Amino acid sequence: MERNVAVRSLTRGWALTLSALLGLALVYVRAALFTPIEGTQGPAQKIFYVHVPSAWASLLAFAVTGVLSLLYLRRREHKLDTIADASAEVGLVFGVVMLTTGPIWGKTIWGAWWAWDAKLTSTLFLFLLFVGYKVLRGAVVDPETRARFSAVIGILALVLVPFIYFSVLMFRTLHPAPPVLRAGAPTLPGAMLITLLLSVLVFSVLYVGFLMLRYCLSVLRELREEEAADGIS
Amino acid sequence: MANSLWGTAVAVAAKDLRIEWRTKTAFASSIVFAVLVLAVFYFSRDPSVVTELDIAPAALWVTFTFAAMLGLNRAFLLEKENRALDGLLLTPVPRTGIFLGKLLGNLGFVVVVELISLPLFAVFFNVRVLHALPQLLAVTAMATLAFVAVGTLLSAMVVRTRFAELMLPILLLPFLVPPIIGAVQTTAGILAGRPLSDFAGWLRLLGAFDIAFVTVCFLLFEATVEE
Amino acid sequence: MSRTDPALRVRNVSRKFGYRYVLKDVSFNLLGGEALLLIGHNGAGKTTLIRLLAGLLKPSDGSVDRFGSIGMVAHDSMLYDSLTARENLQFYSRLYGGVESARVNELLQTMGLEEHADRRVATYSRGMAQRLTLARAMLSDPQLLLLDEPLTGLDDTASGLVRDMIAELRTRNRAVVLATHQLADVVDIVSDVGYLVAGRLKAVEPMDGRAAQAISARYREIARDG
Repeated sequence: MERNVAVRSLTRGWALTLSALLGLALVYVRAALFTPIEGTQGPAQKIFYVHVPSAWASLLAFAVTGVLSLLYLRRREHKLDTIADASAEVGLVFGVVMLTTGPIWGKTIWGAWWAWDAKLTSTLFLFLLFVGYKVLRGAVVDPETRARFSAVIGILALVLVPFIYFSVLMFRTLHPAPPVLRAGAPTLPGAMLITLLLSVLVFSVLYVGFLMLRYCLSVLRELREEEAADGIS
Repeated sequence: MANSLWGTAVAVAAKDLRIEWRTKTAFASSIVFAVLVLAVFYFSRDPSVVTELDIAPAALWVTFTFAAMLGLNRAFLLEKENRALDGLLLTPVPRTGIFLGKLLGNLGFVVVVELISLPLFAVFFNVRVLHALPQLLAVTAMATLAFVAVGTLLSAMVVRTRFAELMLPILLLPFLVPPIIGAVQTTAGILAGRPLSDFAGWLRLLGAFDIAFVTVCFLLFEATVEE
Repeated sequence: MSRTDPALRVRNVSRKFGYRYVLKDVSFNLLGGEALLLIGHNGAGKTTLIRLLAGLLKPSDGSVDRFGSIGMVAHDSMLYDSLTARENLQFYSRLYGGVESARVNELLQTMGLEEHADRRVATYSRGMAQRLTLARAMLSDPQLLLLDEPLTGLDDTASGLVRDMIAELRTRNRAVVLATHQLADVVDIVSDVGYLVAGRLKAVEPMDGRAAQAISARYREIARDG
């Protein structure tokens, strides 16, 4: 990609990100003021509108990394690796939001900061795997080798997650959780569902915006390194 | 002229085990490590509340997996020294044969460590294992296969990065979660004298995990050795 | 394999490491019986080119066609220090599809290692390890032998062995690619010379019986003209 193209996409990424942030503000105004308070959980349920969409965005991001890893090993296009890396990083950001809002919600609703349920556990390990993915990338110097190695991790992660999910699920079935933990998700009344869907939509746009920004940043950085390398030889 | 998959694998595995037998460094450290973990586990409980048998399955599996992990990097470290891997890649053998050989060598190593740790475990934790030995060995084999396969694949990559010793545990530990959960549940039941048929669900999970990851590792190995 | 059969065909090969080209647009052919001497300054791309020819590196662009088995001597010995010389050769024999043990013994003898064959490689001197490396490279009786600085650490007798080996391979129409700084030791046994300057193969010329000094002068001339 040429510098001009990268800069133009960067502008588009910013536009997308800023409109998503604006949308986010609107969704939270709606969530705070115009969405009814949930009966059993009280106002604490509002954190739902951050936790669920950030979990969604983070899973989406990691899934994109996994699929791009697979495509990279087939086609060996450098661009695929760059996008996969960008997506993993954005996924980690959303992952941090998910893993911090989860316990805050859990403490008020379940009375415990953490519960080893299947969803929480598999997302936690997914998060840790992608931390490993980034650490591995940092430890390989040659970009081509780095791309291959991290694609291997991306694919392994994709295969591992369902296994973690089901093994934890079986573990829980064997040792039933205390009743408070089994509050479950009651069917949401319409207004809440719309707010939730809106927040998921906004987070998805935010993900795409972040991804574009991060990707353009990588491209610009590479262009600079390439110029520096040309300067030497 | 090209060699067969199994012929290659057996040659590579035999070579690895011969080197390990001669040096015994990884082997000795893994056994010492196993003894230490078992001892630490024994004392890390309140004996009036938690009995030996309660903690035994967890102690066994943490010992197995961590002791095994110590040895996994060794396989590809051997090939990195003097760039012997280049020598292997120059020969007309299927590359998956090299992976299979490394996997068999590592499995041989891990199985020996496990076979030595098991009686130590029985003695230290005062657990009777003889009556359930076949079941215990079957579960051990099922839980060991996939994580050794993933560990072998990862070690092919991490030995060629900086901080190799640090990298393997970080990347490998998440892959231990499903086999460890399954193995500990099943081991606890076996030690309590229940039949294997009670754990059909866990055994299916372990089996599926083995099939999935051994296959994926075979498919991905090529991508870790080309340059 | 006869004298006119191709042993190696290299077409427009480039290789990048990161963002930097280490080799750019290298093309040449090699026939059976030919021996190509590669010369170039440190960092000119000799080692990268040899690894590409061996198939240990993939080209970023272009293609390398090989015709038959390959033996290689590189900077690293590709041997296992904890195994004996004989065990190393036996192991590689198995991977080459069962080379006869008579050949292993013969190679150990040729390289003057038969008395030390059952010692671990870890106890070998640099020169002994290098001789064993040559034996390993020759195990499969390769159609193409690649040698990257094979004379490092060798005494005169062992250098003589390498020279004899190259000459003997050529009489049997095997091809050799050789990179070395020790020009004087090899100019009389190679057929062609390739000049690598900053990742480009500037020229491939027949040796025509030139001396080492003439080759060095020609390299400087080519490098200067860019």
